[in-house]
Amino acid sequence: MATGTAKTAPAVKQSRLARKALPYLLSLPALLMCIGILIPFFTAVYYSLLRYRLNLPAMKGFIWFQNYINFFSDPKFWNTLKISLVYAGLTVIVELVLGLMIALLLQRRTRFNNFVSILLLLPLMTAPALAALMWKLMTNPNFGILSYLVSLLGFPDMKWGSDPATALFTVTLVDVWVYTPFMMILLLAGLRSLPPAPFEAAALDGVPRSFVFFRITLPMLMPYILTATLFRLLDSIQQFDIIYAMTQGGPGDKLLVFQVQAYLDFFQATNVGRSAALMIILWAITYALSNVFIKQWLKLRERAHGVA
Amino acid sequence: MDHTSPLEKLIRAALLAIVIIFFMFPIAWIVLMSFQTNESILRIPPSLIFTPTIENYVALITGEMRTAAGSLKLDFMRNLWNSVLLSSASVAVSLLLGVPAAYAFARFKFRLGEDIAFTLLSFRFAPPLLVLLPLSLYFKTLGLTNTYIGLIWVYQLICLPLILWIVRGYFEDLSPDIEHAHRIAGYNWFQTFWKIAIPLALPGIAAAGLLAFIFAWNNFVFALVLASADKQPVTVGALAFVTASGIQYGQIAAAIIFSIIPTFVLAMFAQRYLVEGLSLGAVKG
Amino acid sequence: MYDKEKGLFEAFVAGKMSRRELLRATGKLGLSASAAGMLISSAQTKAMAADFDWMKYKGTKLKLLLNKHPYADAMIANIETFKSMTGIDVAWDIFPEDVYFDKVTAALSSGSGEYDAFMTGAYMTWTYGPAGWIDDLNEYIKDPAKTNPTYNWEDVLPGLRASTSWNGVPGGELGSADAKQWCTPWGYELNNISYNKVMFDKVGVQPPKNIDEMVATAAKLTKDLGGPYGIGVRGSRSWASIHPGFLSGYANFGEKDFSVTDGKLKAAMNSAGSKDFHKKWVQMIQESGPKDWANYTWYQVGTDLGAGASAMIFDADILGYFMNGGDNKEKGNLGYAPFAANPAAAAPTPNVWIWSLAMASAGKQKDATWYFLQWATSVEHDLFGARKMDFVNPVRASVWKDEEFRARIDKSYTGYLHQHDVSAPGAKIYFTAQPLFFDLTTLWSENLQKMVAKEIPVDEGLDKMAAEMDQKLVEAGLG
Repeated sequence: MATGTAKTAPAVKQSRLARKALPYLLSLPALLMCIGILIPFFTAVYYSLLRYRLNLPAMKGFIWFQNYINFFSDPKFWNTLKISLVYAGLTVIVELVLGLMIALLLQRRTRFNNFVSILLLLPLMTAPALAALMWKLMTNPNFGILSYLVSLLGFPDMKWGSDPATALFTVTLVDVWVYTPFMMILLLAGLRSLPPAPFEAAALDGVPRSFVFFRITLPMLMPYILTATLFRLLDSIQQFDIIYAMTQGGPGDKLLVFQVQAYLDFFQATNVGRSAALMIILWAITYALSNVFIKQWLKLRERAHGVA
Repeated sequence: MDHTSPLEKLIRAALLAIVIIFFMFPIAWIVLMSFQTNESILRIPPSLIFTPTIENYVALITGEMRTAAGSLKLDFMRNLWNSVLLSSASVAVSLLLGVPAAYAFARFKFRLGEDIAFTLLSFRFAPPLLVLLPLSLYFKTLGLTNTYIGLIWVYQLICLPLILWIVRGYFEDLSPDIEHAHRIAGYNWFQTFWKIAIPLALPGIAAAGLLAFIFAWNNFVFALVLASADKQPVTVGALAFVTASGIQYGQIAAAIIFSIIPTFVLAMFAQRYLVEGLSLGAVKG
Repeated sequence: MYDKEKGLFEAFVAGKMSRRELLRATGKLGLSASAAGMLISSAQTKAMAADFDWMKYKGTKLKLLLNKHPYADAMIANIETFKSMTGIDVAWDIFPEDVYFDKVTAALSSGSGEYDAFMTGAYMTWTYGPAGWIDDLNEYIKDPAKTNPTYNWEDVLPGLRASTSWNGVPGGELGSADAKQWCTPWGYELNNISYNKVMFDKVGVQPPKNIDEMVATAAKLTKDLGGPYGIGVRGSRSWASIHPGFLSGYANFGEKDFSVTDGKLKAAMNSAGSKDFHKKWVQMIQESGPKDWANYTWYQVGTDLGAGASAMIFDADILGYFMNGGDNKEKGNLGYAPFAANPAAAAPTPNVWIWSLAMASAGKQKDATWYFLQWATSVEHDLFGARKMDFVNPVRASVWKDEEFRARIDKSYTGYLHQHDVSAPGAKIYFTAQPLFFDLTTLWSENLQKMVAKEIPVDEGLDKMAAEMDQKLVEAGLG
């Protein structure tokens, strides 16, 4: 700014005020954009306090927390809670480990590695609902290539998603196939942006590789791991497309996760009250989980900044 | 610098091969299916030997599908265009709003800052079904039902939190010293943000943008509930091949290939940024 | 227009002349096929236009919500006839079947008046009706001022008319005197056997005549064919797995889903007869059903039959019909047979799925919408679809008597007319109409899956299921 000294003093004053307002100015548009969504959200909270079934309009009434209280004595609800948590935990852990492993394999900047990392994004680009349709065909005992290959390996009676014993495995497999690339790409970007100095020093000192990995790489990568895991966890606990397309929540009630149950409650049974209550609980769980993650993330960030 | 032993190299190559096979095999199989008729796909046992046909692709492009029950009109290209429009516009809006916000959270400690950031993130974990149905009521009142604008707005639920949180991480990894130096050199805040901070964080922005694009692309419940048939994305369009007279697997496979191509091209184009990580000099050590 | 030709077409539309005769006659007169098509359309119009002002709502624009289905295709192929006859413009939104009913629920529950009429199944009207989303069509059908005198509502098969009307009382009998007509039947399917003639000949078996024979025949086919399995039935976790073959066989033994006493509903699936039928059904799937039966929907059952992976199916007759054409490997090899599960039963009692048309209450041009509905369900359009398109099964008795339609079906679909003729009198919905239909029927399929997977024994499973259903009925104020 080619301004004279005369203007300096007010400019500083102004900028102090601007400085205070600036972060709000920067973040408010994003907030306002999303805030409209809060209105339907509160409408849904209100629905969850109603006995509200669209095809029994005479029964509609305000019942406070009865929908929630009913869940406590309902073994089906506990089954839903359990299977949702198991599913989310299982998929996220497998995807994290696998994603990290692949990111480490592709860490070096070579043309080949770069190309492979983009190639590995292809499953993520396949819409899960359609991917599940293809997997259902590939695991069909008659026409499915995977069933055929598995039968050549000595498992002629593999029943994949239709067998209570292998249903969870099957949907997890599809989830891992679709979403591991998400983990991989975020962790790879993280790995490649780590500063080289600590690694060079460790190499010079002849520090064992496992020590480098657990004491240097992993801690430095932790913010990236937390971000990637958080987003995967939020999506995974809300999984719908893959499970619904593969098994519709079956066999039996083996895969009746939150979203599948809430979907059926709403779209088939038109039980709006129950469906909304179920999703508010799901929302509360994700809220709590992300709270934990964010706290951890901020702490790590602060520590990193403190060291620097 | 390179001190890996031959054995380790071998193991790494083997592991990578397994990874590539696992992730690429279904894709390859889908590609093969897209060149087959349904009759050839549904063979017992499945076989690699077939006479390739391009009729699935032709059907998608010309919009004529022949099934057991005669010929069906379809508008897959329109679906594809809708997906391109919805996803790119949504990501563009998200970047415009999300990147400055991400910068604010990374650079400034301000009252309610973390609360705002968390609130924005919390939109990500509202189950879509929860907000969708009340939303369809409000959309009707606001006249947003069945408009691209309305859909792009709702798509912010998918894109904005993702962009915000990923980009924020990248900004935090950049040392503020460079920006300070630039400011001291006499540039104003905006010039510094535009000329220094954004270019340095570009890999992160590109990665977040691409991921947001993919998630927007794969969504279908929003458009299904909030818009009419002429605004549906490819994900809904591809389901048209699940017909009463049978699932047209060949055409679904071709539809998947078609729907992957734009994103894949985008990813190849952004490859340099995507997998680079932050440029080394910029990172505080 | 030449009077001679017009006379020919009118004779054709009135059913006094076969299609072949018509074509020969028009050929003599030197008419091209497309010109003949136009004349048929104008003759259709003329047949319907007798003493009725079709042009009353000229200039109105209607919007429909349609499922991607051969019935919708048949309608679209003939829509110009309607447009030129009434001057009403018609637009439509078509959604894939996979997501169609989600779209309908979303559109109706938002109170949107965007769509004037839409495709639905009868079961869905048990939700839409009480929710106040659709109109009672009796107000139109029974009003001579609104309905074309040649509409002939009584011509629609009685079982279908009854199955699409309900008084809205939980457990109320379908088609009762106080029932509301929630939708008009459009095209329908009943459940019988479709089988692979080549495979049956190879093994030397006939289509089974009752459930015991079915269990035995399916087992023999599975064993002797060495590859294909004996019988395909649906099994996915959905109400849609109960309504085809399973409920048709179940109803044949006189078994009910619910009993209704003094307006209170009670689950009836744990009767001795029901347990017996469940056991046979479960055994049949375990021995000779598809390996991954719990994944089986309409699509898998059909695909397997068409691709030669299964020897027969007990499912919708039109599913077998579709699989006998197109690029299916087994096209031309399929046959059809009626099936009465109970050896003591006089005739089959197939449960039905009825694609119907309903009028949205939120619509703003209902009289014009009714014009569309009565045209789309008219004898003339039904005949057009049945002769020229895959508008099978037609819902009108007169169309089933049409020689051209019968000849077309008989030529390529062995036994199809027979299975229909024998079963049609008993074809109706055998479920109890009640608001929890989807919840409880889905629960039923969930329990069948557990029984087939041997996670629970049939007897105990049904007792527990009935208890759970009774509790849900009480909670909803129905039990």
